[in-house]
Amino acid sequence: MSKIKGIRDKVAIIGCDATKYGERWDKNQYDLLFEASRDAFKDAGIKKDEVEAAWVGIYYYFTGMSGSTVEDILRLDGIPITRTENYCASGMDAFRNACFGVASGAYDVVLACGVEKLMDEGGSGLPGFKIFGHPVLPLPSAPAMFSMAATRCFHEFGWTKEDLARVAVKNHENGFYHPKAHFHSKITVDQVMKAPMIADPLGRFDCCAMSDGAAALILTTPELAESYAHADDYIVVKANAISNRTNFPWYIPSNGPGADFTSFPATVKAAEYAYKEAGITDPRKEIDAAEVHDCFTITELINCQDLQFCDRGMAAEELKNGTFNWDGETAVNPSGGLKSFGHPIGSTGCRMLQEITKQLQGRAEGRQVPDAKVGLCHNLGGAFSVASVTILGQRD
Amino acid sequence: MPIGIKSYGAYLPRWLLPRDLIAKAWDFPSIPGSKAVASEDEDSITMSVEAGLDCLASIDPKSVDGLFFASTTQVYTEKDSASLIATVLDLREDIITADFTDSIKSGTTALARAIDTIKANKDIKSILIVAADTREPEPSTMWEYGYADGAAALLVAEGDDLPLVIDDYYSISANVTGPWKRTHEDKFIRTFEVKMDAQFYVKSITKVMSEIMKRNDLKPEEVDIAAYYYNNPRVHGRISKMMKFPQGAAQNGLFFQLGDFGTPMAFMLLMVALKRPKEDAKVILAGYGDGADAILMHIKDRKAVRELSKTHLGVAGHQKSMIVLNNYSKFIENKELLEKDRYVRKSSAVTMWRDAPAIYKWYGLKCTSCGTVQYPTTARSCATCRADDQLELVKLAHKGIIFTYTLDHLVGGAYLDTPVPRCVIDLEGGGRVLLNMTEIQKPEENVKIGMEVELTFRKEHEGADFHNYYWKCRPLRH
Repeated sequence: MSKIKGIRDKVAIIGCDATKYGERWDKNQYDLLFEASRDAFKDAGIKKDEVEAAWVGIYYYFTGMSGSTVEDILRLDGIPITRTENYCASGMDAFRNACFGVASGAYDVVLACGVEKLMDEGGSGLPGFKIFGHPVLPLPSAPAMFSMAATRCFHEFGWTKEDLARVAVKNHENGFYHPKAHFHSKITVDQVMKAPMIADPLGRFDCCAMSDGAAALILTTPELAESYAHADDYIVVKANAISNRTNFPWYIPSNGPGADFTSFPATVKAAEYAYKEAGITDPRKEIDAAEVHDCFTITELINCQDLQFCDRGMAAEELKNGTFNWDGETAVNPSGGLKSFGHPIGSTGCRMLQEITKQLQGRAEGRQVPDAKVGLCHNLGGAFSVASVTILGQRD
Repeated sequence: MPIGIKSYGAYLPRWLLPRDLIAKAWDFPSIPGSKAVASEDEDSITMSVEAGLDCLASIDPKSVDGLFFASTTQVYTEKDSASLIATVLDLREDIITADFTDSIKSGTTALARAIDTIKANKDIKSILIVAADTREPEPSTMWEYGYADGAAALLVAEGDDLPLVIDDYYSISANVTGPWKRTHEDKFIRTFEVKMDAQFYVKSITKVMSEIMKRNDLKPEEVDIAAYYYNNPRVHGRISKMMKFPQGAAQNGLFFQLGDFGTPMAFMLLMVALKRPKEDAKVILAGYGDGADAILMHIKDRKAVRELSKTHLGVAGHQKSMIVLNNYSKFIENKELLEKDRYVRKSSAVTMWRDAPAIYKWYGLKCTSCGTVQYPTTARSCATCRADDQLELVKLAHKGIIFTYTLDHLVGGAYLDTPVPRCVIDLEGGGRVLLNMTEIQKPEENVKIGMEVELTFRKEHEGADFHNYYWKCRPLRH
């Protein structure tokens, strides 16, 4: 770990945007990619032909195979385009690879984007093992996987369904003010508690929704950023880390890593890498705004601990006390998170990154975290299998 | 060297369907009693595994030289069942396996063939016979009162220290179109004229029992146990009178308590009858179908016979833990008799074959470097200490403790009760696995962290158009 050199201060974000998230019945994945990229180009003040290479996060094959999915709508005249797939970190991994393209000196201007079109597959949950997986070894649905962690946290920490409900309430409250969120409805703890059960103890409001969306970012070096539209307020990548763990946490023996089901070792490790690279020693104080993976309410609580925003076992209490509120000590999911945006998988990482970029630029209208200087984006994907952490900061 | 019965085992499913539920459902005249019914995740293979495990409870599976499977409800017409059951029971590869099918006398026929095989072949010293049936009656017919689901197993072996010694067998073959089921055309069993069938079958079963007694100079009053199968309880009683068996010799047919099991039934009656063993008791075991078989044996070691009923669950052991169903609609839906879109996963015959040690035989890996036991068997590096190529195959326990779980309302597959508990389990002796739970009532109240569970082999789905099996867990049954 200590030998990793990283890319701190070598890459700048000079433009970004996201589509409206939701049930985009009348748009296909290409339309969404076009919408997000066009708006990112516009934000950066560049023409598409300035882009020298691109990376796209796509999880499901039915959204698109290979980087050519981008070519088919943007017509980038033969530049290299790579599709990245790393579960729910697919989008943030596209961004990470794009960062490497710039930091290595190979390219000056690159596009990182992500897209997923889930609603065309029907809205009743992610397509699962009718299409992949072992013939008979059990593969729980996403809510079932995460509810196993919830069951264990209830047992270890004494958390309750009400503690989980507060995550949903906070994120729906934040999302209410975001024009591009899927949902604009404030909800109550009582509503969350009374919702139909999906995978006990997770009910419908503990789960993020199926949704369509895309997001895109334009990257270059900080030196070159001085000559683009956001010369005064471009955002700098302070750290970028990914950690992969097993696809099957339920087979990790009781003395193995992550066997406790109350912590995600991938998040812990990605955060360690990222904080070291960015020089962050007290995340709770130093991170002003964080987009944290909240595919399920329990996921956000555990991640807040693994990201060192609070002590182990204390996330529910801290949440209750307002630590993670929009105006709290560490704003967690000021956008409304996956709870408000849904989770078009390949896009989510990029959606978070463009959100935090705007927060640090002071242009998160209606939901601006006061005085946000350092931000964090985080995904957790698969069966707690992969975590990505990116830390963004303002230019010098 | 004498040949005899070395061990026995049985399996009765968890559920008892009271006949008055059937009577109420169809407005039929009621018949007393209940019958044993399997859940939809059970079939003749899974129940044979259960009965086989019970039979081999204190016997090394590697010591068994063959496995015969007997059933009228075999799950394939091409591809045998015996080899799959032998694999799951973790028997050796250099054994003989065969299926005996298509007649409800297949169980006793397999027993006769096992005697012949052991007699004729010096390398084959023991054969496990597993008999199972899940005959499905047509709903809203009187057959629904009869057909029950279950399995039984006998370990036939040669040796000087057998609890029961086999003295003789006698068989006849006879053709009649009694109850039948055509290969392609029939979903349920057909009948033509039941009264004619009855006369015919009674003739067969009384003939083989009379003949074996005559061959061995045995008078009816000298018969201590007559464990013969007949599907109709009234006729069953009449046969005893026709045979002039002494009072109490004929084992009650169990129809009212448990139903009509078909192929495994004769073995089940034998087990129940052996609960009160007398030294040197003469025992007749008989089954019928397209002909009949009678097997004559005697109790050689009364204590050993009694020991069998203590160390194996048999019929009585399973009977104690059955649960009475109270909802006929739920039962009929679980049997998948309602037209619905069923859940199907993908599958691969290649993967199922390659992963047999983990998914059928229930092996894991033990790290020789740090000692950690882990599952499944595909790893090359230890999940705990990360040492490469230090992993050895190790047999896993069939019991464990729930570490964490969820109660899944998004049910896939056949479960009588929902939501389905999906449980992360720490096995006795090491290894952590994920298993779905079957046979659980009121899971919201009854599933807990720390709960003890045991494994049961079940049918999962019909992916790739073949039967896909794996283990589930259930609350301790016994």
